[in-house]
Amino acid sequence: MDTTDDKCKCDAGEAAGGEETGVSKVSQDKGLLAVILAFLAGLGIALAVGWVVYPALLYSEQEQPVQFNHELHMAEVPDGCESCHFFREDGTFSGVPTLDQCRDCHESAIGESEEELKFVEEYMEKDQEVPWLIYSRQPDCVFFSHAAHVLKAGMSCEACHGPIGESTSLKTYQENRITGYSRDIWGEDLTGIFKKNPWDSMKMDDCARCHDKETGSKGACFQCHK
Amino acid sequence: MKIDRRSFLSLAAGVAAGTALTPLPLKLTDDLSIWTQTFRYMPNEVPVPPDGAVSVATSVCSLCPGGCGISVRKIDNRAVKIEGRQGYPVNNGGICTLGLAGLQLLYGPWRVQEPLKKKEGGFEKISWDQALSEISGRLNDLRRNGKSPSVAAITGAGQNTTGRLLQRFLTVFGSPHFIRIPAVDDSLAFAAGRMLGTAGVPAFDFENSSYVLSFGSGLLDGWGSPVRMFQAHSRWKENGATLVQVEARLSNTAAKADVWVPVKPGTEATLALGLAHVIVRDGLHDPAIEAAGKAFDAFRELLKSRYAPGAVARQTGVEEPKIEKLARDFARSPRPVAVCGKGAGQDPVESLEAMAVLALNALAGGFNRSGGVRINAAPDYIHWPEPEGSAAQKSNGTRLDVHRLPELINGGAQPPVQALFVMEANPLFTLHGAPALAGAVDKIPLVVSLSSYMDETAAAADYVLPVHAYLERYEDVLITAGLKEPLVGLSRPVVKPKFGSRHAGDVLIDLARAMGDDVAAAFPWENFEDCLKQTMADKWDVLSDQGYLAETGPEIPAGGMNFAALVESAELQPPGQGENGAWPLTLIPYDSMRLWGGHIGTPPFVLKTVADTVLKQADVFVEVNPVTAERYHLADGRPAFLETPAGKARVRVHVTDGIAPDVIAMPRGLGHAAYDDYLAEKGVNINALIGPVEDPVSGLDVAWGVKAKLTTA
Amino acid sequence: MSNHGKKYGMLIDLDKCTGCGSCMVACMAENNVPFKKDESNKLVSITWMRVYRLTNGKPFPDTEICYLPRPCMQCEGEHGHSPCVSVCPAVATDYDFSTGIVSQIPTRCFGCRYCMAACPYHARYFNWYDPIWPKGMKESLSPHVSPRMRGVVEKCTFCFHRYQQAMEKAYYESREELEENEYQTACTQACPAGAIIFGDLNNPDHTVTRVVGPDDAHGGRPKNPAVFRLLERLGTNPKVYYTSTREWVRRQADNDAARGENAGRH
Repeated sequence: MDTTDDKCKCDAGEAAGGEETGVSKVSQDKGLLAVILAFLAGLGIALAVGWVVYPALLYSEQEQPVQFNHELHMAEVPDGCESCHFFREDGTFSGVPTLDQCRDCHESAIGESEEELKFVEEYMEKDQEVPWLIYSRQPDCVFFSHAAHVLKAGMSCEACHGPIGESTSLKTYQENRITGYSRDIWGEDLTGIFKKNPWDSMKMDDCARCHDKETGSKGACFQCHK
Repeated sequence: MKIDRRSFLSLAAGVAAGTALTPLPLKLTDDLSIWTQTFRYMPNEVPVPPDGAVSVATSVCSLCPGGCGISVRKIDNRAVKIEGRQGYPVNNGGICTLGLAGLQLLYGPWRVQEPLKKKEGGFEKISWDQALSEISGRLNDLRRNGKSPSVAAITGAGQNTTGRLLQRFLTVFGSPHFIRIPAVDDSLAFAAGRMLGTAGVPAFDFENSSYVLSFGSGLLDGWGSPVRMFQAHSRWKENGATLVQVEARLSNTAAKADVWVPVKPGTEATLALGLAHVIVRDGLHDPAIEAAGKAFDAFRELLKSRYAPGAVARQTGVEEPKIEKLARDFARSPRPVAVCGKGAGQDPVESLEAMAVLALNALAGGFNRSGGVRINAAPDYIHWPEPEGSAAQKSNGTRLDVHRLPELINGGAQPPVQALFVMEANPLFTLHGAPALAGAVDKIPLVVSLSSYMDETAAAADYVLPVHAYLERYEDVLITAGLKEPLVGLSRPVVKPKFGSRHAGDVLIDLARAMGDDVAAAFPWENFEDCLKQTMADKWDVLSDQGYLAETGPEIPAGGMNFAALVESAELQPPGQGENGAWPLTLIPYDSMRLWGGHIGTPPFVLKTVADTVLKQADVFVEVNPVTAERYHLADGRPAFLETPAGKARVRVHVTDGIAPDVIAMPRGLGHAAYDDYLAEKGVNINALIGPVEDPVSGLDVAWGVKAKLTTA
Repeated sequence: MSNHGKKYGMLIDLDKCTGCGSCMVACMAENNVPFKKDESNKLVSITWMRVYRLTNGKPFPDTEICYLPRPCMQCEGEHGHSPCVSVCPAVATDYDFSTGIVSQIPTRCFGCRYCMAACPYHARYFNWYDPIWPKGMKESLSPHVSPRMRGVVEKCTFCFHRYQQAMEKAYYESREELEENEYQTACTQACPAGAIIFGDLNNPDHTVTRVVGPDDAHGGRPKNPAVFRLLERLGTNPKVYYTSTREWVRRQADNDAARGENAGRH
């Protein structure tokens, strides 16, 4: 225990004889140790907070209203991703399918899965759109053109979205409590430096980096904003 | 271990170092900056409009008599933008302020959402069944007591299917009092009827005209079909046609005119006849008119004795040489046309003025000629079997004139009107002498308003029956307003009805059914849509596919113009409003594309375009010439009291050179008491300051200017 | 600079313009422009497109009025060095060399209003109030333009979202070029008088280019003597052109430089 009393004693010892320097050294080492320990403790706490507690607190978790098996559907549909996620005739992208698209097959349940039953009973029969949580939804001020990337630049769906088509379930949707946006925008990796795949994060910097590389310019604001 | 100062600092340093090694600072900063952008901490979050599939629905706008084709852009089931329809014969892609802001009328919170019944201090919500059974019960009571003719209906809808259903309802019920809100077309039709013996409305081929002589018509201020007029104006600019505007105020039309002729308000007919004098005197007129016309000599005599340039100059304030020049330019232009109908053409004009304008056109050989005038028979496509039974015979007696209502109702002990239906009209706001009319309507025991909006008339009604807004319903839109050739457009539902409203036609059919007997029998249709399809019969497919039907009637010859009618009217001309010391000024209303004075109130977007020299906070400005301002010690921007024989109001003064001395002008369309938070309680309703003035020939209310005075507040 | 890029510009015929205000309302309806209960204080009233009323200053009855619609001029300045772009500390506004349009990104703007001070045309507006749409009215909001929040500056974008939409359609149809009528601003489309012409000033086939004849060697100055720009001598090189046969209107537009007067002033 390093207390002021101890310190006083040391000072008294020094003053008295001067041969009790060992005590003083031990006391000093002890002090240094305490300082180092305190530093490490602080460091540890901060690292734990920054890497574990903060991310856990930052994101709220929500399951999708209905589970969905991409792999299963991919095996059934004729044109891969575009069977359901298609371009409209005006060049806009349809995004997540609406009930009407599902109706052809799922007017009534065709499989045995509980999730399908839930989908049919709670949404199809009530004619109510499924409130899907969209992992890749960009902020309102962003204009993202699928046509420009897919049709003009010839990029594949996987190039940005990853192998979603091979997934068998939908992951938990994490929403940033502060911004209200999906975790997938900033990315799983909070540092933003360990990005391996394009789909790991999709912030403005990610867009700009790729545009710079591919087109030689980051582009003007209006290229992607509205 | 105790924590001393050093280790505490060390702990802090450790936390700092550790934090720096985590993504927290960067991430938190970024998130917080995004958070500030979303404004989610504010009570009024910035909305994020949901995206979806874009589609376009076409329809016809029925907010004004113009009848433009519209394309409505939708996102899924939401209408998000109204645009002009490309290729539509009226407007070909163009659109006006009101049409563009139509979605504010559709989605605005001022819609009437369910049937309302008046009670102490406000309205209560009732069901449709209750509303219809109560109203039909009271109508049946009237009928049983032999008071069928005491039921009246006022509508702006006119001669389309819904309007005719209302008329039919009254007819089978046994009342002749189906009252349409009159407009300039009625004056023109009346004049044409007297002078040409035809039933039809004069229409003007502006597009092909080389010289347009307008007697105060706000051709570019909402006259007729506004978009068509703007397009015609652009053609004049391209073709080098001349526009002459005769008007005391520098309106937008006058501002765009090649020649602006400021004239004393109310002397337009005199000037027109003064021009006729010069034309006839110099033999510049079409000889065929003189040969075929009746009583041309009497006309010549009238012009000679009363409308010599000198006399006309004194009355109108237009200099003699200018009269001579105008007359010659008009007559010598290859395809001249003259037109009347002040402002947006909402008001009838003096019979003499309408006849003088028709005479000018005749003198210029303008009938049935490109760039001239033709008389259009109203499209005749509604052929229903005559109602059978006792009811049909009961409907005799003379029709009421709406401007006479106050005098009639206040006159007798037993008001002649016991029940009043109002549809597609807001007479308590749009008609001259509005306060007197409101007082009269208050005395009517049963007032039923069929309205989409809580306007002044609806607010004064005993029952308000919410009808579909114009984007929610089928409607045949009869477009005659100043069009070269009449057209029937089809307005169709663009979005599903948002509230518990019904189609006005359905309300009438249901009401008739509730009344039973022969009234019900006269309305055999399932519902309005069924009625419309049956009425259009084989024309429905074309109407539905194309969106409109061109209904050109036979050409009506104008060779035999009877000038006797004009000469008689000149004798009966209402006494000129002479100089009066107590009322030294003349107040005239003006219309503009940025303020709508009809039964549809100005939506917020449009009100936003109004200049701060027209409306400032809740104050309306009165335009005053600098000379007038100096004479009456009025300063620009200062408050003043405006007084007319009909009323008094607090206004502000806008000193401008764009108005004649001794004339002051105020916009129409302000001073709403009801309607919405954006429009109500702003400015003054000029119709409250102007009393009706009955034309001695046509019997229509032809008030425009009114004597006034302006004093500093 | 932008040899391959487009350069969108506008020509407004002041002789045809009747001052009806349809362009203003079309703009509001297209761009989710907010509105308040009282809009009579024009200093805080947001109208990306605004119709000004000019008079010749003569007394009655020689008074004349000319209406002048004023969108954002999309100044090119010296190679994109438009007055507003060069002062923005947040890069919330920039010059797009591929279209010649000056952007304004509300979420990036922090409301310092330097750009408003720099703009000689008063084409920029600050959101002094929360944008509030009355109950039910949010249904008419367009998803193609994001609504702006309080505390930021906004302005006319030449309906850039329409360009984006037109390009998407072109890509869908395997094209890279747009037809003249595929991208038109909301005001151009709505104008009932047909007084506004809009197109690519770098495309000689577009009507606006044919009429204006922009002189690329002199910042797009019009070769057509009937055409002029506002405050030409400031050298902002706007891409909105006007035409009027009335001399006094041209003088009020400060057309001195175009006529050789005040030569040397820049």
